[in-house]
Amino acid sequence: MSKPIRIALTKGRLEKDTVGLLEKLGFDCTAVREKGRKLILPVPDANLEVVLAKANDVITYVEHGVCDMGVVGKDTIMEMGGKFFELVDLGFGRCKFALATKKGSDFYSGYGIKTIATKYPNVSRSFFEKKGMDTEIIKIEGSVELAPLLELADGIVDIVETGTTLKENGLEVIEDVAPISARLIVNTVSMKMRRDEIRNLIKLVEENL
Amino acid sequence: MRYYDLITPEGTKDLLFSECIVRRNIEDSLMALFRSMGFTEIITPGLEFYDVFNQNSEYFPQENMYKLTDNKGRLLVMRPDTTMPIARVVATRLKDAYLPLKFCYDQSVYRTEPALKGRSDEIVQAGIEIIGSGSRMADTEVIAAAAEALSGFGMNFSLELGHIGIFKELMSRLDASGKEKETIRTLIETKNFPALREAVAKISDSTLASQLEALPGLFGGEEVFAKARELFAGDASISALLDELEYSFHAASQLCGESGTITADLGLVNKTDYYTGLIIKGYLMGHGDEVISGGRYDKLLAEFGMDVPAVGFAVNVNAVEKVMVKTGNMPEMPKVDVLICAKEGFEVQALKKAAQMRREGKIVEIAVNNDMAEIEKYAKAKDITDIVTIDNNGGEQ
Repeated sequence: MSKPIRIALTKGRLEKDTVGLLEKLGFDCTAVREKGRKLILPVPDANLEVVLAKANDVITYVEHGVCDMGVVGKDTIMEMGGKFFELVDLGFGRCKFALATKKGSDFYSGYGIKTIATKYPNVSRSFFEKKGMDTEIIKIEGSVELAPLLELADGIVDIVETGTTLKENGLEVIEDVAPISARLIVNTVSMKMRRDEIRNLIKLVEENL
Repeated sequence: MRYYDLITPEGTKDLLFSECIVRRNIEDSLMALFRSMGFTEIITPGLEFYDVFNQNSEYFPQENMYKLTDNKGRLLVMRPDTTMPIARVVATRLKDAYLPLKFCYDQSVYRTEPALKGRSDEIVQAGIEIIGSGSRMADTEVIAAAAEALSGFGMNFSLELGHIGIFKELMSRLDASGKEKETIRTLIETKNFPALREAVAKISDSTLASQLEALPGLFGGEEVFAKARELFAGDASISALLDELEYSFHAASQLCGESGTITADLGLVNKTDYYTGLIIKGYLMGHGDEVISGGRYDKLLAEFGMDVPAVGFAVNVNAVEKVMVKTGNMPEMPKVDVLICAKEGFEVQALKKAAQMRREGKIVEIAVNNDMAEIEKYAKAKDITDIVTIDNNGGEQ
């Protein structure tokens, strides 16, 4: 049998959903389910090797071709960019990027430059650039919701799933920035050098979404 | 600040010992191949005026070029590419030369890459250009050279062909803003099928929409052409382009040898390319990015004032080197055969003896230390088994 295809999964929810999908395709993912602390796990009957990584690292590994494929959220792709094929929208991990402000504040009023707090500076910058709006962007690592409450920022650009956290902190979504879901990405050379194996797998995946 | 005198800038590195040998072997074999095909070497300056790369069509985004100023305050760049300087030379100093001109080159290009990504800002490219011929034979010779370059690396490779003309023809039929066209191009380039499906849904011409949607999926072996023919049935201008590409594909298949496979991809539509026709990409198993990139660029020289067609490719030598090191495909370090040490007063004799032995084909090193114990230690460290001492006997020990 040829060298297994390596697929990097974003640890956490996307990993669980992907393993669920692989099992639905009829592959035995026991090793991945009982992984312990191991980070590279075989799915022998699919000739796959699952690599568990953080979202940004999934892109890095796929770009370098040390992993042939990856499952990563559109949020990470939008923020990091990179050179790879973005073949399939897996449909799970759905949420959105949204612009939120303190309830009742009028974000677009006045001519002063607005300050945006976010974990996703590139996404925020390109969103406001498209509007032709000059903004000041401040990168925050933890709970971004704090920034407008502490009056560091006029608004935030962040991932919104249910909106509960926003609501409980007196914030509200005033505009959607972009929808998000999990994507199957493939290294540009692997796609060509291991064409048939990858195509077959993708076909199976698409038929079972 | 303090430690910058001890390290190299990010994206650059020092090469030592076998690393140098791997690199030079690759360069030497490529240049020998190109020269044996009758290509003559061209060397262009490492520094060029910014304007050379700032043509109407922005092939190189300014943020990716290393910039500096000359003593008159004019903006210079570290050359980010070799093809454009060659186009500049040909359009100026060689504008009256007999065409075609066949050039080969082997030099570094400089581009700023995002930090902490494991990429090099300084890349050695060895390549060829045929300038002043739009013929099928020129395309085919370049393909043959690319196949031979790849098979010379002794690894499994894949040579991929595309034709940007097909995409450009489709785009010329599309009634959309530049921004919308750019979106579609990006989606085709990244084979982002779901988003492309959405984007083409807005196109009123349903034939064109389905053709654009199918384009990124048209990659693979020979079967690509049957599918493409079906998709573009009755379309004379695109069929002609497909004929061209299919001819190249078959030629390449016969030229690539046993370690290579030939593939076609009609979805090769990179933004920064100056290509107008054939596109060539080369891949090696074990490297995540292309190691060869090239194609036909019939409009580039016109930007320098000389409207002639051209075709060529470049090998990313650093990438090939990386794969060779990674796969253990390393050449052996040439071993020193003899270490000569001179007793005091016999230095000249020792050097003469060394020169004589070198003429016999040996690698001979001179010991620069006087202490015999030190010399033996040195020989051991360098794995030299033969030590010759030159003394008043003039002989060897």
